[in-house]
Amino acid sequence: MAEKTNCKYVLKAEGLVKVYGTTVKTEVLHGLNFSVKSGEFTSIIGYSGSGKSTLLNILGALDVPTEGRILFCGEDYGKMKPDELADFRNKNLGFIFQFHHLLPEFTAIENVLIPTWISGVSGHQREKMNRRAEELLEMVGLKAFIHNKSTDLSGGQQQRVAIARALINDPTILLGDEPTGNLDTETTDQIYDLFRKINQTYGTTLIMVTHNDQIAKRSDRIIELIDGRIHSDREKAEETRADVG
Amino acid sequence: MNFELKVALRFLKDGRGQTVFILLGIAVGVAVQVFINTLIAGLQIDLVNQTVGKSPHVWMVGQSSYEAALAANEDANYFRGNFEALTSPLKNWENIETILGSRTDLTAIVPVAEGSAFLIRTEETVPVVIKGMDIADADGIYGISESIVSGTASPGGDQILIGSGIASDYNLEIGDIVTLTIPGIRNQNYTIGGIFSLGSVTDDTWVVMRLSQAQKFLGLGSDVSKIEMQVADVYSAETIGGELQARFSGASVNNWIENNTSLLAALNSQSMSSLIIQIFVLFSITLGIASVLAVSVVQKSKQIGILKAMGTKDRQVSRIFLFQGAMMGVLGALAGGGMGVGMVRMFLWGTSLETGTPLFPLTIEWVRIVVILSIVVASSTLAAVIPARRSLKLNPVEVIRNG
Ligand SMILES: Nc1ncnc2c1ncn2[C@@H]1O[C@H](COP(=O)(O)OP(=O)(O)O)[C@@H](O)[C@H]1O
Ligand SMILES: [Mg+2]
Repeated sequence: MAEKTNCKYVLKAEGLVKVYGTTVKTEVLHGLNFSVKSGEFTSIIGYSGSGKSTLLNILGALDVPTEGRILFCGEDYGKMKPDELADFRNKNLGFIFQFHHLLPEFTAIENVLIPTWISGVSGHQREKMNRRAEELLEMVGLKAFIHNKSTDLSGGQQQRVAIARALINDPTILLGDEPTGNLDTETTDQIYDLFRKINQTYGTTLIMVTHNDQIAKRSDRIIELIDGRIHSDREKAEETRADVG
Repeated sequence: MNFELKVALRFLKDGRGQTVFILLGIAVGVAVQVFINTLIAGLQIDLVNQTVGKSPHVWMVGQSSYEAALAANEDANYFRGNFEALTSPLKNWENIETILGSRTDLTAIVPVAEGSAFLIRTEETVPVVIKGMDIADADGIYGISESIVSGTASPGGDQILIGSGIASDYNLEIGDIVTLTIPGIRNQNYTIGGIFSLGSVTDDTWVVMRLSQAQKFLGLGSDVSKIEMQVADVYSAETIGGELQARFSGASVNNWIENNTSLLAALNSQSMSSLIIQIFVLFSITLGIASVLAVSVVQKSKQIGILKAMGTKDRQVSRIFLFQGAMMGVLGALAGGGMGVGMVRMFLWGTSLETGTPLFPLTIEWVRIVVILSIVVASSTLAAVIPARRSLKLNPVEVIRNG
């Protein structure tokens, strides 16, 4: 397995507390501590309302914890300025959301390329990026649909475009919040295979919030949240991991 | 293409109906601005031209004996009624003319011997104004040569020129002999050498002769009554008049602006109302764009949230909306500019259908149009500032959570 970074723990969560509301305060996460190894495929499971999305958004630097901190290879998110955080998300993180969230104004390949536009690619890089976007769309099985308007694609196809988009900048970590939440079993299976392939080919660290037992069971590690606390954290033995896919 | 520009363009293209309507609104507003602006400018140029196009802008007369007396600070009980003439002749006018001739802002300098007389034709006695001036000089202001309807433009011997109104009222023709008289002072016969038509009331009153003829008839000796001048920029007449007054303190200098205060006040208030209309049009264009973009920020909140999650900086997000405003401004302004020019052409064509010439001439001034269009583009961009700032408040987490 290829390693993306030379740090062992790509993410460290230290004493994460999240409180929503100002007048009526609800504590949703009650001091979480855990580390994610580089190249690991982690599933986060738990009942609805247990704080999975809240945790994932904090890990993805989209939201800030009320207390505690997140370290990316030792670097504290909280010490980065807004623009640096934006750059950081663009370069190091890939997001896949439950509601795929493609931009309906753009075609499939344009949606995949948007993260590269944001950071601004120069002339000769653009050609390279176009080819990479095509390759990624081919990998997710959408070779025939690259120039379709994103609204002309089925739910599963859109989700796969979103996966390609999350991968275009070759992120260190791929984060997914119930990425197969509203897909049928067969598509879910295909997408899981895809995750595993990405994990093994690029050494990408995967953190997936999921309801789906199939996916959870086939990942390297399962963190279960109950009411904002880590109820269990099970890791598979290293040697059994490779042949799970 | 720049990322923000690309997204802005796509957002506009995607909101087709909305975009087309607002563009149409901007275009109509801009067209009205261009049209009104051109119309008012044309109207004013025409009005001023009619007022002072063929008359002196600045003129210099000798000081009145009343003023001269005051200047001499004599204690006597002078009052205006004591004096036959309000102005005295200009002496040494050749020197003055030479000095005036060195000024480049004067386009015409005409020494005039002027006075009242009667023209006697058999039983009729007609009050006339004698204008003695060299026709070549006078053409600089009055264009007499080109206004001759019969006879000569260069009277010689005892020849004089008369206005077409006098000619037709009293049945005078070229070669007729008339008597000019200043009762109790002079009687002199002249031959009608030419008839002019300047297209104004002067046609009914003016008798034009050579300067030397008039000097002799009016008993001015070698003096003239006044020097009439035209200036390159009619609105500078007051300033130039002031300069001349300071230079020639022994004379009295007047200008058309002091004599036409009510016309100028009317022009001013016309410009002001045109300006106010244009400001309101601009205001509604700006409001229109601002409201369309404010709605768009809400409509596109999902897209903006995603873009932010993927690392779009706040600065870039607000630029997306500023670009949308600017693009609407540019497109609307160009379309409106075209429509406005079209409206001007329609006006010229429409008003010339009956007479063959337009009601009054309009010139399409591109500089003026470019200024209007630039202001529209600038305000359109400004209109996007509030929506752009609102887009900054969008939290991607909200968007992601709620699908
Ligand atoms: N913006 C918010 N304001 C207040 N409460 C919130 C907000 N977002 C989430 N919550 C609450 O926090 C808890 C955890 O939510 P979430 O992280 O979405 O859980 P999960 O993803 O596991 O379903 C829920 O009780 C939810 O109602
Ligand atoms: Mg959730």
